[in-house]
Amino acid sequence: MSQTGTANAGMGRLALRDFGGTGLRLLRYSLVRAISIGITVVIAVYLTIIIANMGGQVDQIRKAEIQEQIGLSFMNNPAVRDMTPEERLALQEEMLQIEIERLGLNRPFLLRSFSYLWQGLTLNLGRAEQMSSDTGSRQVRLILLERLPATLLLWGTAQILVFVVAILVALWLSNHYGGILDRLIIALTPLSAAPAWFYGLFLILIFSAILGALPYGGMVAAPPPTDPKAYALSVLRHLILPVAAQFVSGIFILIYNWRTFFLIYSSEDYVEMAKAKGLSGHLVSRRYVLRPTLPYIITNFMLMLISVWMGGIILETVFNWPGLGKLLYQAIHLFDTPVIVGSTVLYAYLLAITVFFLDIIYALVDPRVRVGAESRQP
Amino acid sequence: MLANTETNSALLRVEELVLHYRTRAGTVQAVDGVSFSLDKGQTLAILGESGCGKSSLGRGLLRLLPRNVKTYSGSIFIGDLDTMTLGDRRYRRDVRWRRLALVPQAALNTLNPVLKVGYQVAEPLLVHRQVKKKSEALEKVRHLFNLLGLSTDFLNRYAFELSGGMRQRVAIAMALISDPDVVVLDEPTSALDLLTQANIMNVLKRIKKDMGMTFVFITHDVGTASELADVVAVMYAGEMVELAPAENFYTDPLHPYSERLMASVPTLREEKELQFIPGQPPSLINPPGGCRFAARCHKRLSQCTEKEPPMTIVDKGSRVKCWLYQ
Repeated sequence: MSQTGTANAGMGRLALRDFGGTGLRLLRYSLVRAISIGITVVIAVYLTIIIANMGGQVDQIRKAEIQEQIGLSFMNNPAVRDMTPEERLALQEEMLQIEIERLGLNRPFLLRSFSYLWQGLTLNLGRAEQMSSDTGSRQVRLILLERLPATLLLWGTAQILVFVVAILVALWLSNHYGGILDRLIIALTPLSAAPAWFYGLFLILIFSAILGALPYGGMVAAPPPTDPKAYALSVLRHLILPVAAQFVSGIFILIYNWRTFFLIYSSEDYVEMAKAKGLSGHLVSRRYVLRPTLPYIITNFMLMLISVWMGGIILETVFNWPGLGKLLYQAIHLFDTPVIVGSTVLYAYLLAITVFFLDIIYALVDPRVRVGAESRQP
Repeated sequence: MLANTETNSALLRVEELVLHYRTRAGTVQAVDGVSFSLDKGQTLAILGESGCGKSSLGRGLLRLLPRNVKTYSGSIFIGDLDTMTLGDRRYRRDVRWRRLALVPQAALNTLNPVLKVGYQVAEPLLVHRQVKKKSEALEKVRHLFNLLGLSTDFLNRYAFELSGGMRQRVAIAMALISDPDVVVLDEPTSALDLLTQANIMNVLKRIKKDMGMTFVFITHDVGTASELADVVAVMYAGEMVELAPAENFYTDPLHPYSERLMASVPTLREEKELQFIPGQPPSLINPPGGCRFAARCHKRLSQCTEKEPPMTIVDKGSRVKCWLYQ
């Protein structure tokens, strides 16, 4: 017994020392994580710039476009009609050089790529080439910010709904597995093989075209109601179908996933001990199944949130939802590089912030993840 | 001294307990008509090899049943209360951890990894409303930790921060916290090294002596069982083949299986040649008629394979299920 006594005292001292350093350690850990995530963002944005400019090849395309424009303007310009072809060519060449210099295309692409990078990182996203915001601005930042709330509303609602319902139903099923409802849900999982927009088409057909009960698409009735209450109600009505499409497509496979996950964790010895101790089924589920698996659930929740930031290109297009997904779809069509790069930069930032908070939360909810602590196994 | 089925003075009385599982291959008769009784302060050691149904017996006692249970019948009296007649709700509230507690096999997994150890030990008190305040419960845990040689620093530790032996002490503290009538020890030392095993056994012996605790001690280790047991039960192929006071059992086992089991255990003081039992225990899906040990028995009689032997009371209060003693 004396041996255990000294061992205990030793561990007590260790615990005391650890406690004093916890705050500092958490701070240092956060800083290191922030720096490493920051580096990742820089690399991601730079790669996007290189890719969106096709490694500088886009310069050639733009030069050709400028040349074509100048040529066209010369063709219809009566002022240059009297010039000799040589004079005209010289003037054309001069105007081309001025335009190239104005756009900075005469500087080597490599140098410019770094100034693009700096502009991107400081969210100085520049002006769109073709697109404009609904308020008429050419500022990429404004175009993106205008679309962001719509995306967050639709995808946030849909994904959080699917996620929470899936977790709760799965937890219930894992306690009643093998029952009729359990078998029914498993039988329905193949429904998740089709994407949300696929169900969207059917939902529009049934509820808008045939029943006429809900709008075909868009986010709010036209013209928008002036009363805020009516406005909110209108948005809610427009939200029903795209959210339902998401729900049908996502829910069954997610329930199946989580149910299997909870089933595995409910067969742990400590769950059985909790039952033997006389805890109610509700307490066992909450404290002995949900609580130990919380880090995994949070990870999945955050990953889900990341997907929310970007929305979905096709679903937003099908429902004519004015979100980032639809914007990106249009930007790719119009070859609007600043908008593409801008939305990627925005995404990279949101992603980085999400991952950073995920790391911190992880360290807080799971005692097994001791940040930077030396192993304390006695 | 010996448990006596006929009197009602026994603290724990089990009659004709049956626990059958449904599997794809057929019905597994894991526990088949087991009866015994145990007085307060005594320890019953249930001995048997892997797959003999001893762990199932423990689970049956605690009503910790898997989903594929086919039959679960018999009576389990704790005092005057027949727990088998209680519904799940009442059983949970009135029996679990108030009447019956469990010390599981030592493993990392028996404690919740994300709850502090002290809280987990205190939990039954709070769940069953035996104390009103959390601080009161923790005070009791502190007292028990001191008693079991655990530092009270551990109250705020997590399971992964403790060694195997410490975790097992925590499990014992958890079982004792709500003053249950009977504690089922399901191979409490099997996963530990020898020194820690001896340590834990000493703790258990001390509790038995100081607190007058009643134990059902399930083990495959004949030697370890002798340290704690007042009564020994031997399980074979789902049946209890011998139930005897410890001193009788360890000097003079009656059933041929017990005899061979004892002959396979090395002893310190006497010279003997260790023996083994040829063959394998029968499948519990379709156990043979007659005596289930007959095929491996070195004292087999002609009727052994035909008729099942009854449980017979022999001298000095031992009971044995064997034709030799008819």
